[in-house]
Amino acid sequence: MEEYHRPCDEVGFNAEEAHNIVKECVDGVLGGEDYNQNNINQWTASIVEQSLAHLVKLGKAYKYIVTCAVVQRSAYGFHTASSCFWDTTSDGTCTVRWENRTMNCIVNVFAIAIVL
Amino acid sequence: MSALAKDKLFPALKKRGSVCSPGNHEFRQKEGHWRSKHSVSTVSHSDEPSQRDETSRLTVRVENTYQLGPTKHFPVATVNHILKDVLTAYLQEAEYDPEFCRQMTKTISEVIKAQVKELMIPRYKLIVTVYIGQRDCQSILIGSRCLWNPKSDTVSSYVFRNSTLFALANVYAVYFE
Repeated sequence: MEEYHRPCDEVGFNAEEAHNIVKECVDGVLGGEDYNQNNINQWTASIVEQSLAHLVKLGKAYKYIVTCAVVQRSAYGFHTASSCFWDTTSDGTCTVRWENRTMNCIVNVFAIAIVL
Repeated sequence: MSALAKDKLFPALKKRGSVCSPGNHEFRQKEGHWRSKHSVSTVSHSDEPSQRDETSRLTVRVENTYQLGPTKHFPVATVNHILKDVLTAYLQEAEYDPEFCRQMTKTISEVIKAQVKELMIPRYKLIVTVYIGQRDCQSILIGSRCLWNPKSDTVSSYVFRNSTLFALANVYAVYFE
């Protein structure tokens, strides 16, 4: 039986590529929009689903977790942190911060390698 | 051990702005037996995407386990209690303050990760995220989607609220296939 060699995991997660993909998705969904309570649900769902779809199209053997937080821009503070227990050589993360006049959007992508 | 091999084994020591703490165990299966291998964990508080040294990548080759799924599933209820306990303990009496909350988010995520690791559930990778925000008349929506195997992977979540702040903690558990 032939041995299957792991292809792309040797170089780990490409954070820059993911960053670009997610930024495009967010621009597409939220670009030019103002904060609107009615649409917010739909927007976060679109951002997350589109990002996930584009990441999958890269064709790499990864499991993905995409989280999105959209906050109305105000005087009020907001903090986020994450802590991960994984294999640092193959797994990775990427965070995209986006803002406009009325809202802030933070998208986190976590990618965990599948060993084939 | 040569300097190059040492660099390969401890790549994290070359990173700037992060703290290394040896002592965490990384499990590697070989010939059906668990062996614990000393590895280094890093705590990085930078909010830029982490820069990784391309030359110091360690290629891990594991043998076939012929295991199709986890022998022990992730205990969601137990972890929910852990989240509830940690958030309540740290934030019950707290008032929103930018510096305090900035430190708290990092501390709480590390504490939760440590407590869930103590449960010693084999072959699960963990991602803990914590959101803390000031509470008063603003609107916020936090959502997530995951592409994984729903039979083995899961998420656990808890929201804590008091008069001045709210806190959301999520733990994503991904089975290492």
